[in-house]
Amino acid sequence: MIGTDPLTVLTLTPLFVGFGLLILPQLLPSKNAESIQKVSRNISFGVALGLFAFATYLSCKNFSGIDWLDISMGDYILTNEPTTLISSIGVSWIVGADALSLPMIWLTALLIPLSMLVEWDAKKGHLFHPLILIMEGALLGVFVALDLFVFYVFWELTLIPMFFLILVWGGDDRKYASMKFFIYTFTASVVMLIGILVMYFSTDGGASAGSLTGHHFDLIAMGAQETLIETEGLRHMVWLLLLIGFATKMPSVPVHTWLPDAHVQAPTAGSMLLAGVMLKMGAYGFLRIAVSLFPESTVIFIPLLVILGMTSLVYGAWVCVGQTNLKRMVAYSSVSHMGLIFLGIATMQPLGIAGALFMMFAHGLISPLLFAVAGAFKHHYHTLEIGSMRGIAHHSPYLAAHMMLGWMGSLGLPLLAGFVAEVAILIAFWMTFGWLVVLPALTLIITAMYYLSSMQRTIFESNDRHHGILPESLHGEDPTDVTWHENTGMFILGALTILFGILPFIFFDMMSDWSTKLLEDILVAALENQGVNP
Amino acid sequence: MIFLTNEEMKLIIPELIMLAGLLGIILIPNFGDAKIRLPLTKIHLPILIGGNRFKSTSDPKLPNRLTMIALVLAFFFGFSNRVATGDVGNALTVDSFSRVFFLIFTAALILSTISAAHRIPARSNVKPPQESDSELLASRKIDALIDNRRQVDFHIILLMVGLGMSLMAMANHLFMLFVCIELASLSSYILVAFHKESAAGGEAGMKYFIVGSVASAIGIYGMSLLYLWNGDLSFDGLATAWAATDGIDPLAGIGVGLMLVAFGFKVGAAPFHLAAPDAYSGASSPVAGLLATASKAMGFVAIIRVLIGITLPVEGEAFWFIIIALISVITMTWGNLAALTSDNPKRMLAYSSVAHAGYMLAGLAAIGSGIASIAATKLILTAIVFHLAVLVLFKFGAFLVLSLLETEGRSHRLEDLHGLGKREPLIAGSMFVFMLSLAGVPPLAGFLSKFLMINGIVNASVASGSTGSVSVIGWMETVDPVFWLAIAIVLNSALSVFYYLRIGLVMFFEAPETNNPLKSATSLRLAITACALLTVILGFTSLGDSVLDIVSNAVETFIGN
Repeated sequence: MIGTDPLTVLTLTPLFVGFGLLILPQLLPSKNAESIQKVSRNISFGVALGLFAFATYLSCKNFSGIDWLDISMGDYILTNEPTTLISSIGVSWIVGADALSLPMIWLTALLIPLSMLVEWDAKKGHLFHPLILIMEGALLGVFVALDLFVFYVFWELTLIPMFFLILVWGGDDRKYASMKFFIYTFTASVVMLIGILVMYFSTDGGASAGSLTGHHFDLIAMGAQETLIETEGLRHMVWLLLLIGFATKMPSVPVHTWLPDAHVQAPTAGSMLLAGVMLKMGAYGFLRIAVSLFPESTVIFIPLLVILGMTSLVYGAWVCVGQTNLKRMVAYSSVSHMGLIFLGIATMQPLGIAGALFMMFAHGLISPLLFAVAGAFKHHYHTLEIGSMRGIAHHSPYLAAHMMLGWMGSLGLPLLAGFVAEVAILIAFWMTFGWLVVLPALTLIITAMYYLSSMQRTIFESNDRHHGILPESLHGEDPTDVTWHENTGMFILGALTILFGILPFIFFDMMSDWSTKLLEDILVAALENQGVNP
Repeated sequence: MIFLTNEEMKLIIPELIMLAGLLGIILIPNFGDAKIRLPLTKIHLPILIGGNRFKSTSDPKLPNRLTMIALVLAFFFGFSNRVATGDVGNALTVDSFSRVFFLIFTAALILSTISAAHRIPARSNVKPPQESDSELLASRKIDALIDNRRQVDFHIILLMVGLGMSLMAMANHLFMLFVCIELASLSSYILVAFHKESAAGGEAGMKYFIVGSVASAIGIYGMSLLYLWNGDLSFDGLATAWAATDGIDPLAGIGVGLMLVAFGFKVGAAPFHLAAPDAYSGASSPVAGLLATASKAMGFVAIIRVLIGITLPVEGEAFWFIIIALISVITMTWGNLAALTSDNPKRMLAYSSVAHAGYMLAGLAAIGSGIASIAATKLILTAIVFHLAVLVLFKFGAFLVLSLLETEGRSHRLEDLHGLGKREPLIAGSMFVFMLSLAGVPPLAGFLSKFLMINGIVNASVASGSTGSVSVIGWMETVDPVFWLAIAIVLNSALSVFYYLRIGLVMFFEAPETNNPLKSATSLRLAITACALLTVILGFTSLGDSVLDIVSNAVETFIGN
């Protein structure tokens, strides 16, 4: 099973272990239950580490000897034998990975143990760590599922652990934040579901079709079908429905307002996963379903993508400047960076799409670092107000170092991972849209502005270690530096940010191959149909 | 002919078991040590009936256990023998279609029995109140004694409901159908009014009885018109005569229309649903759950038998298409809107059950539109029956949770659910699963059934849209109106999400009024958890497929007739 169907093992193991650790203590006598609860944190972490090793092994094995240019759109590696789940309506268990999902799978497997590490001392650890493990299963399920029904189920399943992470371990305003988070994303995914159902109804039979309904949810077969939805207008409508679902998750302006609240209230590990992987689900789904299956609609709606991306980018950055709350600032910077992904896709250049893919990956490394720093800040200084304390470089040198690296990575310093993605997107944007590139380029200056000023106002501004301004929330106590586990987690993230900044081709090559194939196989024809010169 | 042949006995073993259980409940609690002296001798012969009751037979928990045994046995035999087919006498036909409904009814009754054991509890060691007792203690003792006294009544009536329902599913004669429906209905009126010490219970029972009787009377009038028209009320005879008639005979048309009033009342279709919320909120939760699942299924058997079995033309539109389509849309919208505004969880569930009746009627309307192929007809009917089957899990499941709350005397206000997530995580989680399933969120069983229904309607109608048109509006103009029934279901489901999620919201977000855990009703808790688990499993694994197989085979036998 592990040999023939590794992705299923990767997805289901954390789900089973996580649910097992949550439910088992409820069923056993209280004495046994306590002994399980004592070790459940260690078990969760061990499983997460094991899965990370497994994911790394899978990615390494598939790096070597695969020419991604040979794999056309709609072909996947690491696939399984499709198993029927609900034969009457045509739901099957089909998994597979390609250059779009493999980096995301590896990233998920990486971030889960790191987020556990950063919040190693969470209260109610016997619930916290298994919940994160469930989260891992749900996230991996989204990235590996090639059946839209299963995809949707995992998509919704990610909500539940995140909802409880915010509700139980969140800040003071957690009820409001978790409710807003749930309602926004749930409503958006119901809209997306309607789009998926329309797609379902327009599939014609085939091997995987339901015995009662005659339709199927099989994504590969949908891609192979000549025209998925015959009415052109309906096709565009479905594309828009899908976009609403994905853009809310990403999130893009104007449906982004749940994100800052959720981030500010979420516990550190929750924020890390939310920013690191959950936001990427939106971009992933958009590329996997909306762009791949409806290329013509994508081409028609390029202006919409540019507007959405540009607004998110500029607005997100602009709002950041005015933020006084560290986490809120980082959250809005996420909105801003996600805007770049839309811009990258809208360029319709291999470089731009590859840049968007790398942005997904790089932001998945940097933003968890940012939130880990912000979380540690809250943990040790009991405040998130920028400027309420100055000179942490003296009090907490490690925290200051991590903060600096994270901030630099996020504003796009060369030789760090974020830079590669931004430059790729901007070059492609210039090639397609010409001087319009000035706007996103100028926004990067705003980004530098708010990051540098917040850095200056927290890390520096005091050379005397006895006269730095300490926040009132410390009540006169001496601040402490980060603990060893926080330090380890942040160090790994920082090191990877540097690694992928210097050696981006580890993942960038396969991403650009995937983008080339996407354009060659699918988008070019659509572009020509619409009279755009590719 | 009064006596049954062996084959006929075999076919109706489950009903005979229920009958035996019924007699058992009447007899066994009366067994005692009475003896009769043979005249002129000193020999005392025990005659069992009368005297001081034995310890085992005087146990007030006995009726509940007997009912449980009878129902589980009946369910088991019904399930293992679900494909048997044959006539029993002249008025009953056993086939897999009727057996599927029998299983639905029995499952609901089993859940009802489990929850009744805690809702109307029997206590073994209650002494009559003493003079020295405080007022509170005395009144509690009296309550307990009353509950003990009425165990027998409650369970006899419960079994009577089951017997009436399962016989009506087998009826192949309109008159038999009506008699059985009345047997079940009259018993359920009593069940609704069972808590006569509370004003709400009596009022609800009275209302339900009056409205129900009027509806039945109208139905019987319709039936008499049909009799005038044909002189034969067997389904086969009616169907043959209907097919032979050119057009619609006014007598027959009016007759069927009037009968729909009676059946519409049973399923809770607008505008005959008005008594339902009162009945649900006045009745105890085990009974309300029964009304929402088994009673509704009974109404649908009757509607399917009459509308699809008798009056569906081979091709073209059925005469009731427009009416049913309108009623379905009005029913689901009215139900959902009313549920949005109701603060009483039981009323909310009642309205939600009205809305669900609307969804199923929409499916029937699509069948009657005349554009549905045989495959689409089969799919829609399968969806309806499957929906009725899984409703037992998540609708009754919700009522089971309310039963658990009622053991501490609450469940009539939304506040009673406040903070349930803190007090009882597992129960609240199950309730949330039930709510999501009622709303139709994938991958739960409620989604699967609703999805099949929409699928059937779309399959039936989507081909009528012109494929050549480029714009959505052009396509919409050409598509058959039946398609909009599917849209109505989708929109209504979206509307319903609000009030279902509100339950989840108050359970997890509001502070509880008390932090005490609920009564440790083990069997009730097990039933709730099992329902929640099955709701998930049926929606997402091949077990759902097996249930669907059973249902679709049953539907095939029905359509084949």
